Amino acid sequence: MSDLAITAMQTELTRERSAIRSLRLVQTACILVIALVIVSPLLMLVVASLKDDRFQILADMGSFRAFWVSNPTLSNFWEVGNFSGELAFGRYLLNSLFILACTVGAGLVVNSMAGFVLAWGSLRGRALVLSLVIALYVIPQESIIMPLVIMVSRAGMTDSFAVQIVPWVASPLYIFLFYQFFAQLPKELFEAAEIDGASVFRIYRSIFLPLSLPALATVSILMGIESWNQYLWPTLVTQTDYARPIAVAIATFFGQDSIYWDRAMAASVLMMLPILALYLAFQRWFVSSFVGSAVKG
Amino acid sequence: MSSVTIEQVRKQYGAVPVIYGVSMDIEDGEFVTLVGPSGCGKSTLLRMLAGLEDISGGEIRIGGRVVNDVAPKERDIAMVFQSYALYPHMTVAQNMGFALKLKGQDKATIDRRVREAADILALEPLLDRLPKQLSGGQRQRVAMGRAIVRHPRVFLFDEPLSNLDAKLRVTMRAEIKELHQRLKTTTVYVTHDQIEAMTMADRIVVMRGGKVEQIGAPLELYDRPANTFVATFIGSPAMNLFEGRIADGSFVTNGGVALPLPSDGKGDAASIYGVRPEHLTIAETGVPANVVVVEPTGSETHVLVQIGSAETTLVLRERLHLDPGQPITIAPDPAKIHLFSSEGVRLN
Repeated sequence: MSDLAITAMQTELTRERSAIRSLRLVQTACILVIALVIVSPLLMLVVASLKDDRFQILADMGSFRAFWVSNPTLSNFWEVGNFSGELAFGRYLLNSLFILACTVGAGLVVNSMAGFVLAWGSLRGRALVLSLVIALYVIPQESIIMPLVIMVSRAGMTDSFAVQIVPWVASPLYIFLFYQFFAQLPKELFEAAEIDGASVFRIYRSIFLPLSLPALATVSILMGIESWNQYLWPTLVTQTDYARPIAVAIATFFGQDSIYWDRAMAASVLMMLPILALYLAFQRWFVSSFVGSAVKG
Repeated sequence: MSSVTIEQVRKQYGAVPVIYGVSMDIEDGEFVTLVGPSGCGKSTLLRMLAGLEDISGGEIRIGGRVVNDVAPKERDIAMVFQSYALYPHMTVAQNMGFALKLKGQDKATIDRRVREAADILALEPLLDRLPKQLSGGQRQRVAMGRAIVRHPRVFLFDEPLSNLDAKLRVTMRAEIKELHQRLKTTTVYVTHDQIEAMTMADRIVVMRGGKVEQIGAPLELYDRPANTFVATFIGSPAMNLFEGRIADGSFVTNGGVALPLPSDGKGDAASIYGVRPEHLTIAETGVPANVVVVEPTGSETHVLVQIGSAETTLVLRERLHLDPGQPITIAPDPAKIHLFSSEGVRLN
């Protein structure tokens, strides 16, 4: 090959490399902008929670000062982080955590069992039950909320933890998610365990449940977010601080004549942290589960 | 006592019958192979034996006990699946010990029996591994280990070697046979591979379309097939069949070629003439033929020849130099000729 040809090839190669580099720069810039747009409200919230002057917070909104705090303080957190009194956000946070833990814990058991029976049980009319479960999913929660309120108040369950947990444990969406996951596991696993002497419950507990970690993680996160963000239902069924969750408690700030933005921001950060931690803990499984379900159809 | 009796067993899905009154007796300690083409009902029959499929009619007895309505776990059987069906989240030792754990055996007993089975199958170094860390052959051995650790009365194998490559299949075939000779447990083995059936079984059950075509020892099926289906299914390359009639002391094919009759003189009403490829030889006198294709395999040579309008295969042990189009003369061994009626039923 002549020197001229080699030089021409090298020039072409350099040009290609610089084009790839430019493309990567543009991609990185785009990703940064998108990330900033998503993260900026959270950043603003955290920054505002560290300012002790509620009027200053209001004044800083709409400018870049909203993202900067010169004298950060945790005083707002100390003010709202009580377990009794007017600003018992510590208690509300614990209430929410308790409701979340019970709803997710019971939800995983109930929904996975239902999904397993629909996928592998010898239940008569399984297909019909599955169709009904899917049909239930399209009914919006809000449309059945008033009959539910009447039911729970007649049962004397209002203003309790149970009323915020029990109605949301079984969910058509999560039953269907588990059903789909279990149904795609090989039939031979079930049959091998059956021949080994396992009962249907043992097959569920010892074989299928340990294999469904991605589904468990996905449902935990989705259920956790749903339970954490419940607002309408607890507003209707709680009257006192006893079982009031943090989402409802925060809203009380905004019904007042004067809004304490500093405290509201600190309370919001408190509310945000656990669910963020939950997501970060299960993020890997959550993503892989969604990718998996996409690939396996 | 762990004999198996299958009596007039039927299976139908809705109105569609798939097994039509199959009967057979399997002796205690016998190795029986169910063989047949895809869809013949062999796996369904095995699954009915395991209790994984309901029985539409008839009776299945294991060790003299009717098990028609007995749950799989109470039949005292162990099954090895085509896909191995190992529990992916359990180690090899846990996979093998799972059935014993369910039976409530103590840890020491489970450990001892798992180690005994692992010793037989050379699985000791793999006991702490997960199935995904094993090769196909190792997984197959673990599946067998899971079966033998329970000391069942009957082993059921459902095409266990189908997922392995050809070389490993031969090795595993010998291992399974050796295992059976050692344990002497009654075994029912399903395969679609007639070589597997021939090499492993004490007796073979040939099935087609949900019916039993013939039951017998491998060489009995090979030497005296009951009909043309068994004749062509057992043996590779398949038996050569010619349609025609008996006339003037020989069998005249529809193409007008005269073939010698068997030495036993039976089969006057024959309309199908069968001869295995290895029972045809190149001779000085006989039936004129033309070489079409020559396939040397090393140990033997397969030669496809044209006799009249029909194509016929020869298997020769000698290394002869033959060219396509070359005229040769072939002669069947008169003692190894099979005659069948027009319905395909054996006559001689």
